[in-house]
Amino acid sequence: MSLDDIPVRVVAPDPGLSGNAWPLMLEIVQMVRNLLESGETSAIDLSALPLTPADKAWLKDRLGGGQIHVELQAEGLSTLDETACPGVWWVTHHDAQGRVLSELIEIAQVPELVKAHPDDIRMGCEYLEGVVSELS
Amino acid sequence: MQGPLIDSLARQGINRRTFLKYCTTLASMMALPPAAGRAMAEALAAAQAGAKRPSVIWLPFQECTGCTESITRSHSPSIEGMIFDMVSLDYHETLMAAAGHQAEAALHGAMKANAGKYLLIVDGSVPLGLDGAYSCIAGQSNLAALKEAAQGAAAIIALGSCAAYGGLPHAKPNPTGAVAVSDIVKDKPIVNIPGCPPIPVVITGVLAHFLTFGSLPELDKLGRPKAFYGETIHDRCYRRPFYDQGKFAKTFDDEGARNGWCLFELGCKGPVTYNACATVKWNDSTSWPVESGHGCLGCSEPDFWDAGDFYKALSMPASPLKTAAAATLAGAAAGVAVSFANRGKKGAAKAGHETATLSDLEK
Amino acid sequence: MSELQLLTWARGTGMDIAVAIFVLGVLWRLIEIYSLGRKKDLSAPRHAAGASGWHTIMRRSLPPPGMVQRSPVSYIGGYAFHIGLALVVFGFAPHIKLIEGLLCVSWPALPSQFVDFVAVVTMAAMVVVLADRINKPAKRYLSTLGDWFAWAVTFLPVLTGWMAVQHLLLPYTTMLALHILSVELLLVVLPFTKLFHAFTVFGSRWFNGQVNGHKGVPV
Repeated sequence: MSLDDIPVRVVAPDPGLSGNAWPLMLEIVQMVRNLLESGETSAIDLSALPLTPADKAWLKDRLGGGQIHVELQAEGLSTLDETACPGVWWVTHHDAQGRVLSELIEIAQVPELVKAHPDDIRMGCEYLEGVVSELS
Repeated sequence: MQGPLIDSLARQGINRRTFLKYCTTLASMMALPPAAGRAMAEALAAAQAGAKRPSVIWLPFQECTGCTESITRSHSPSIEGMIFDMVSLDYHETLMAAAGHQAEAALHGAMKANAGKYLLIVDGSVPLGLDGAYSCIAGQSNLAALKEAAQGAAAIIALGSCAAYGGLPHAKPNPTGAVAVSDIVKDKPIVNIPGCPPIPVVITGVLAHFLTFGSLPELDKLGRPKAFYGETIHDRCYRRPFYDQGKFAKTFDDEGARNGWCLFELGCKGPVTYNACATVKWNDSTSWPVESGHGCLGCSEPDFWDAGDFYKALSMPASPLKTAAAATLAGAAAGVAVSFANRGKKGAAKAGHETATLSDLEK
Repeated sequence: MSELQLLTWARGTGMDIAVAIFVLGVLWRLIEIYSLGRKKDLSAPRHAAGASGWHTIMRRSLPPPGMVQRSPVSYIGGYAFHIGLALVVFGFAPHIKLIEGLLCVSWPALPSQFVDFVAVVTMAAMVVVLADRINKPAKRYLSTLGDWFAWAVTFLPVLTGWMAVQHLLLPYTTMLALHILSVELLLVVLPFTKLFHAFTVFGSRWFNGQVNGHKGVPV
């Protein structure tokens, strides 16, 4: 069989992709493995990376959508969505005018911002105790 | 995260999650890893029982107060105001309630109590003329005040182009002998945050970095934090495609200007200016000079006031030509003088011409 | 001195000095040359078709018949870089602004990407012409230090200007300062080197045509 007989298939690259998105997938896989083995949480700051909008769309598409959608109102809307891979969260922070402040992929059981801090729980507890004591 | 800071922020309606969100954004803007955002939030919030907030002393010299205006007029006071909740701003003439002797007592008390540990912020240039008499506070020249305050400072932030490079007072003919902070203080770490005024978040970012890590962020060779001054305006300008194609606005409000074409011909100094205006923008990302239709002045560069007309393109002469007329006359005169000399030579050659005869040749 | 201060000097004092020396030199040499005059030719003028100063200017702007085949590099390379230089110098918008600043005249600019392409062609042509000068024994033998210097002093502005716009090697501020300084060097040496042909070429051709036309010979 000569070289000419080997079929050559040309795969056209998706327009707009820079090729920087798929190494991120490798990083995410490694971080998820770390999460499984040691419980170590991590994050990737997407604002800092040279990604085109097509890259981000590709990444979002490959990671998929999950069951959980969290909206956080904190001087502007922040959304924290679990992807199709549990433990991998897509976090977008907006300011009060709706502009994107930062975008991250967080690898954790639950993103840091969603967790309730013990001090905040304590304050809530004091308030609830007050309500209970008023009722009784 | 716990501590009196979070309590005080909560009183202002800024809860823990908002604080963490802002620190994440700040870290991202400073090109720090996401984990640094959390570290920043924890370090900024942590205040062990009995420990004091870091002391910050702000000395205003030959300045216009624009730098203070910039940081206090920031529309989302949460970021910038937060920083000043995390520190103890022990002396700031515009903002403090005390005046006169009480103010001076506060200054010297803070310097003594926090010797070696306080952060010194300076805005305005330091005049050297007339032994520093051009700018005095409480009878003490700025020069003496700077030298005294610098001794006990952990680090110095030269805020604004005046403190960083001399700024407007330093412009020709510099009647007060104004110099930069770094021209006076040589033995302390100094970070220059130039700009006329600087963008608020740059000030915040540097303060946050110092408060979190106890050190100044990475600086370029003019002492500016690379996180914000690493690229030129031109390199991040959204009108760059028009520059590359050669589509320039010729006057303000002409057809090209209305189409958002490049402002190079209207004197934009973007290509030679390092700042974050094109990405971070002003007034909470509302706009910035080029987006509003005016060329960049180059206000974060040394001696930008003397770098040629603000409205003359970079390819044009920076100052009117002074010697062209004299050179024309001199050239004409030289030419005429040489031509007379040449005529003289021709005449002499003609007069000295000796006819040769056959007998001459046979000699 | 910071980068911006160097650039401001180049655009300010440096330009002042360079333009002054240029104007001084050009006037001096032009007056010196043209004041020499010529002895009047007392013979009766002959008339021949196509024999005059203007005809010679036109004729010598084109290669003599057969010469392009014999010396393609000299002619094609020469035309390429001269035309290229003219297009880049007089067609690039920032340069037109400079001339407007100095002489208060301006004209529409060429698209910047086209000028960019022309600059590359100009530099390529100049390199080819230089290589030919080094490789051809006769040309090499005839070349003096003045020739190499004139080439360098003409090549540097095109190179540094192109590198500045492309953001190559050095930060833009420094590259632009180097570009302006290299142009100032060119201005300062132009009146005193063979580059002065920029001002004398047409006068010289006209004169040759006129003198020989008087004798009835088209040159």
